[in-house]
Amino acid sequence: MVNHHIPSTLQEALKILDKHDCYIMAGGTDLMVVKHQRSGLIPNFDKDVCYIANLEELQYIFEDEKGVHIGAGTKFSDIEDNELVPEILKQIIHELASPNIRNMATMAGNIANASPAGDSIVGLYLLDAKLELVNIHGSRMVPIKDFIFGVRKIHRNQNELIKEIFIPHHDDLNTYWRKVGSRAAESISKITFAGGYEVENGKVKDLRMAFGSVSITVVRERKIEEKYIGMSLEELHNHVEDIVMDMSKFVQPITDQRSTKEYRYKVAMNILKDFILTIE
Amino acid sequence: MENISFYVDDKEVIIDVDPSTRLLDVLRIKLHITGVKEGCGEGACGACSVIVDGVCYDSCLTPVANVIGKHIITIEGFRNTSQYRIIADAFADFGASQCGFCTPGMILNTYALLKNNPHPTEEEVRVALSGNLCRCTGYNAIVKAILDIAENGGDIEW
Repeated sequence: MVNHHIPSTLQEALKILDKHDCYIMAGGTDLMVVKHQRSGLIPNFDKDVCYIANLEELQYIFEDEKGVHIGAGTKFSDIEDNELVPEILKQIIHELASPNIRNMATMAGNIANASPAGDSIVGLYLLDAKLELVNIHGSRMVPIKDFIFGVRKIHRNQNELIKEIFIPHHDDLNTYWRKVGSRAAESISKITFAGGYEVENGKVKDLRMAFGSVSITVVRERKIEEKYIGMSLEELHNHVEDIVMDMSKFVQPITDQRSTKEYRYKVAMNILKDFILTIE
Repeated sequence: MENISFYVDDKEVIIDVDPSTRLLDVLRIKLHITGVKEGCGEGACGACSVIVDGVCYDSCLTPVANVIGKHIITIEGFRNTSQYRIIADAFADFGASQCGFCTPGMILNTYALLKNNPHPTEEEVRVALSGNLCRCTGYNAIVKAILDIAENGGDIEW
């Protein structure tokens, strides 16, 4: 027997999660597709469902001296419209799904769904986002790269809920975003790439490269990025093929219904080269 | 089953239903509001669009538990408004509806757009309708109809 829990406060939700193993339903835009049977039939949930979309305590965006805090219940369209949100995330959201889905879906849901093709996740890796997970006993902060460990696999304990996405300030980071899909709207990505860089006195002060849809999780390798930090722009541009070589160990796409591994690899590397060579 | 209450086209609705039931099925099957269409059933076509507290949702992806206490406008309630008449007349003038299956969703998304942005650019119109598929018109007639309202509609109270 599947029970449906509709808490009206965060505390109530955490008590429910402490007792029951639940699907956590936010906007529903992934879960309702996966569990759909056919018109007129109720979705096929095999365990309890806890509905959190309307918890007011999870609807917020604010900033402090460290960064921007986005409540887990905040819808993509509200995130896109908020001036505190980093430009690259706005860009990503603008091309994500459709206007209706952006009105319903949450970024926390995109994270928890942990699809390799989750677009917002790529931007969050780039910006070193952290997640605040809460349970009835307290909370913990986890870097997003340590939270997602496989296709639809996340380190969430049964009694935990994502409460917040925290994005550290990156006021001087220049960003770059490319999404490759079959059409302008509603496309599930074939390849995504988020880049970031800072240049000071002609030298690379920071360099970041994050790929989506080319491995089981987002690919970002700080050790490789660090190899090229400190170079002059000319040196960086001369090393573009080395960067491609370094990243090729990690960019390991597959062939599926959306694209082939050959196409994905080639295009991902072309985008990487474009990113590196346009840094100035 | 659980008693769930919300508002549909300004009337309060209280129904005993599984909370995971799609809002689309509640509207069409329980409330007989068949103006809300089911196209793809997976959030890709926009035919099932309804307005929930002022913004458009795909009702096929909305568990009814998510609209508790909320105000929903369907095409059947919206058709009694003067704003509907303006949009429907423009669609008729420009041949923006052929088989008509996408039209309820197109009209509600048009309304949601014009309410926030009464004078959109062509690009803004195309983005606003990017989640609504139409297999008849090729979209240009729909876009032209909306741009005509934006240009010649004067100061309509959206």
